[in-house]
Amino acid sequence: MTQLQFFGDPPPGITDRSLPGRLVVIEGTDGVGRSTQIALLKEWLEASGYAVLGTGLRRSTLAGRGIARAKLGHTLDPMTLNLFYATDFCDRMERTIIPGLRAGMVVLTDRYIFSIIARAVVRGVNRRWIEDVFGFALVPDIIFYLDIDVDHLIPRVLNSTGFDYWESGQDFLRGRDVYKNFIKYQSRLLPEFHELAVQHDFKVINARRGVLDIFADLKTGIGDVVEGMMNDEPAPIVEDADESLTMKEIMAKPTSAAPWE
Amino acid sequence: MGLRRNDRYPGRLFIVEGIDGSGKSTQLDLLHKWLVSQGFLVVFSEWNSSPIVKSTTSRGKKTHSLTPMTFSLIHAADFASRINAQIVPALEAGAIVLADRYAYTAFARDAVRGVSRAWLRRLYSFAVKPHISFYFDVPLDESLRRILTGRPELKYYEAGLDLALSDDPYESFRLFQGMIREEYDLLVKEFGLVRIDATENLIRQQQLVREIVSPHLNGLMRAGNGGLQTALQEANLQGRYLGETLQRGAPIE
Repeated sequence: MTQLQFFGDPPPGITDRSLPGRLVVIEGTDGVGRSTQIALLKEWLEASGYAVLGTGLRRSTLAGRGIARAKLGHTLDPMTLNLFYATDFCDRMERTIIPGLRAGMVVLTDRYIFSIIARAVVRGVNRRWIEDVFGFALVPDIIFYLDIDVDHLIPRVLNSTGFDYWESGQDFLRGRDVYKNFIKYQSRLLPEFHELAVQHDFKVINARRGVLDIFADLKTGIGDVVEGMMNDEPAPIVEDADESLTMKEIMAKPTSAAPWE
Repeated sequence: MGLRRNDRYPGRLFIVEGIDGSGKSTQLDLLHKWLVSQGFLVVFSEWNSSPIVKSTTSRGKKTHSLTPMTFSLIHAADFASRINAQIVPALEAGAIVLADRYAYTAFARDAVRGVSRAWLRRLYSFAVKPHISFYFDVPLDESLRRILTGRPELKYYEAGLDLALSDDPYESFRLFQGMIREEYDLLVKEFGLVRIDATENLIRQQQLVREIVSPHLNGLMRAGNGGLQTALQEANLQGRYLGETLQRGAPIE
């Protein structure tokens, strides 16, 4: 059971106290290998008989496109960007994550509020403010943090997508040297993650190792969390539950394909 | 938690609040014209108008997919964008900023939708405290008469249909506006909004607004239009294509 516990005030309209699914978060910086691990975990969990729902930043039907478009321009300030991400996150939480948990699924999320908070703080946004804003977020069952240092990160990034504009802090750091800015940016970002790791009891996984070593650790960790799920009773049917939170709504809308990737 | 201090900017921020049909936009428009005629540099900011956010808001409204929380957050994003790109720079430059609706609109509306009042105040703590906040106070029946004459089509969120107060849009609108009005009553006390009797004669209301604003105008920057009118006359031109220039300078969606 996932206890419906929130970091701050719960969003209005949620009446459940616990849900049969599990909320599993994979956090870590850009290029650390989150998506590889999530792809493996999804296959493994499904093969073991669990229903898995994947989600990640910017994948909401509501705000995903708007964020992408705003990032192409040059008028986006950190606070607006964060509130945009908060909208995206909230839309996914209310209309994807919670319904998935209610249906008894393992919800596997690629990044959570912690990446957003770390990136905001590095850009000078007040820490208390951004943590307060995300007070409506559901406390996950488990948070894995793929831990790496800048030296080990660089070859990974070069091997995959290359240095991203935002993940190199090009939007706020001085100078045009992407490589130097990447190092500077990640050297500020990683300590923020470490602070959050302590604060929120992340399960830290050493991500300097090979893919399968990391995967083995994640399997062990998730195994503990999903244990017993098969024998849980389904969630009681709530009469007149908030419409925005019912599975019925999601199922009835095949156009919002994003939640069921 | 209060709003951000306004005394570090040379400019002035005046805002209007009130339920739909209170006449606040009309009064702000009259104030705007008067200030411009007095030669002040005035910047106008409207609720829900950020070029980078508003298309997402309309998308959510059109598909009825906003929950109380996402409704609140996307409006906060819009507001943040205008604060940082428009309102604060103008205040720093010493201009007068007029805003039609401000954070108090969110405090009232979102609270009616069940969002935590304490959270809303923390969310909007980046908002600059206005020098004067006018609240146009109108009895519910009068505002409904003004808005509903002619039975206009009410939009889903505008009528508060998401709150499921009633299936009838008009009845829902009436209940929703009544609840917002009650929230405003609390906000008037909490934030010291200046209450204006919106049932008064329109011109009398505007005189009162100007009287209240006047003491705040001392030492403010006067803009003029760079002597454009005079220059045009001297050159014997009409300025027929100047409209195009203004359009090109406008932010692109």
